[in-house]
Amino acid sequence: MAFLSAASLGAQEIPLPSGSIKINFPDGSPLLIAGTVTDQSRATARGAAMVIDLDLLLQLRNVSDRQIHGVTLRVVAQEVTVGGYGSVAYPSLHVGPGETFPARVAMQLVRPTQAVSASLVEVNLDGVLFQDLSFYGPDRLNSRRAMTAREMETQRDRDYFKRVLAQAGPAGLKTAMLESLTRQAERPRLDVRVIRGGPAITSAANPAPERTAEFAFLKFPDSPVAPVDGYAQIAGNEARAPRINVRNDSKRVVKYVEIGWLVRDQNGQQYMAAAIPTADPGLLMRPGGTAQVLQDAALNFSRDGRPVNVRSMTGFVSQVQFADGKMWVPDRASLEKEYLLGLLPPSNEEQRLSDLYRKKGIGALVEELKKY
Amino acid sequence: MNHPNQATLALQAGGDLGPLARWRLERHLARCGRCRDEVASFQAVRELLPEVATLPEIRWNRLAAEMKANIRLGLAAGDCVRAEPAPLRDTPLFAGARAAVALASVLVLMVTGLVLQHPAPKPEAAAIEGVELQTTAHGIQVREGGGTLRLLDGGAQDFGMQINGRLRYVPAVTYTPGAQGSMGAGYMDPETGYMTVTNVYAE
Repeated sequence: MAFLSAASLGAQEIPLPSGSIKINFPDGSPLLIAGTVTDQSRATARGAAMVIDLDLLLQLRNVSDRQIHGVTLRVVAQEVTVGGYGSVAYPSLHVGPGETFPARVAMQLVRPTQAVSASLVEVNLDGVLFQDLSFYGPDRLNSRRAMTAREMETQRDRDYFKRVLAQAGPAGLKTAMLESLTRQAERPRLDVRVIRGGPAITSAANPAPERTAEFAFLKFPDSPVAPVDGYAQIAGNEARAPRINVRNDSKRVVKYVEIGWLVRDQNGQQYMAAAIPTADPGLLMRPGGTAQVLQDAALNFSRDGRPVNVRSMTGFVSQVQFADGKMWVPDRASLEKEYLLGLLPPSNEEQRLSDLYRKKGIGALVEELKKY
Repeated sequence: MNHPNQATLALQAGGDLGPLARWRLERHLARCGRCRDEVASFQAVRELLPEVATLPEIRWNRLAAEMKANIRLGLAAGDCVRAEPAPLRDTPLFAGARAAVALASVLVLMVTGLVLQHPAPKPEAAAIEGVELQTTAHGIQVREGGGTLRLLDGGAQDFGMQINGRLRYVPAVTYTPGAQGSMGAGYMDPETGYMTVTNVYAE
């Protein structure tokens, strides 16, 4: 009731000052802004606070002579969150020279005061990935690595569905799509809250004592990096400070490793919890060398509003980047063999293809796969 | 489509709706993105302003004393305005029962006051230090101090479909937390038709 009285103070809309969104694309960018629409943006007073809805629709034109496969924009609202920022990426693109595509950024800012100043949000181009995996952009968010990994997963999963189509025809592809949608529907999901810079135990309501838990590992035969051992601090449904020792089993220098982190609850149900990337941006792990993957954020796990207590943990190598920028991701057979397909979220491409199948049917999906 | 008013949405955000009204509203919210957004906005402000989630300070003891005095005054006034001596049964039992009822009422009032003087603790979210990243009903957000930056999923909605004779609900958004302090969401943007991946990061 008290909240109602606060709400009743008003929900009046206030026009946004011009220049609330500043868009910066560097000179020489392979993308040109061909149009901008922001007419759905508005600011609304909620009691003493201000809620600002910004809906930005950009028409971006490829002015390069290469096909674009991915774009990442960096979103900063310095006056709202000093210690945080965002990004919006568009993977699975096929934008040829001279073609345009729509890029939408929908966001909401909540400020504790009703003051609305100019330049609330800055949207900057962080990177563009081309078909040959070459890259353009300042890469402040490590977009190159993220987009390259997504592109490899895209090619892996598209090739898989193309193989199914070639071997079993449209009926086989339909079966594979239904299996994918079933996995997506049945995948056990956790609500994860990540806190950085807070206390070791984030919830005063968590009475469980903290303990050091050891990781078990899944190992893929073709992985260039092998996990050796690893630990994290666990207290009830909270985990923090994962640290994992890894060894470079390849003949190439490795500069980045990412570990997938699975947790199992008291009922034996397993969930994908988070990814643990290497923290050292200057990492260079020589063949046979070792390194430690560690992070300091605290993670809080729940499901349907109830805490999910961690009984055990499992890790697996999910990404490796070599010194020359090339990347390794697990193949589909390895994921299937270790029952990870049912635990991991689908790749962007699998999500896109299954959405196409659901909305337009098997015929449209077959035509889509024939394009590549 | 008839939309509920702002007060109903605000009550829903605060968890103050009755069971029947809540059930009816949740049926509406399941198919109305606009009202879901409104409820999410109210919830965001509620998280941001924990002070509005608690009752203002009221001097309950003083209020109880005033009400007790008013009850006495009312009883006395009732005696005064009677035209002639009331045909009351002047048995001690009746007088005692009336006094007991009045005293019990006052006691109930005082106990209620005491309970309300010790309100429930503030929501846990309000006590967070540092930078917090989490999923919300319509996207992902980074929250620090009094400010929130939320990247929305553009209205992507879970869908139900019959697979092998069984209705299954497929989530429209996949979330990927990062232990370095990040949260990602991937979805097909219903407006552009393009796959979109948003991320929020703690510095």
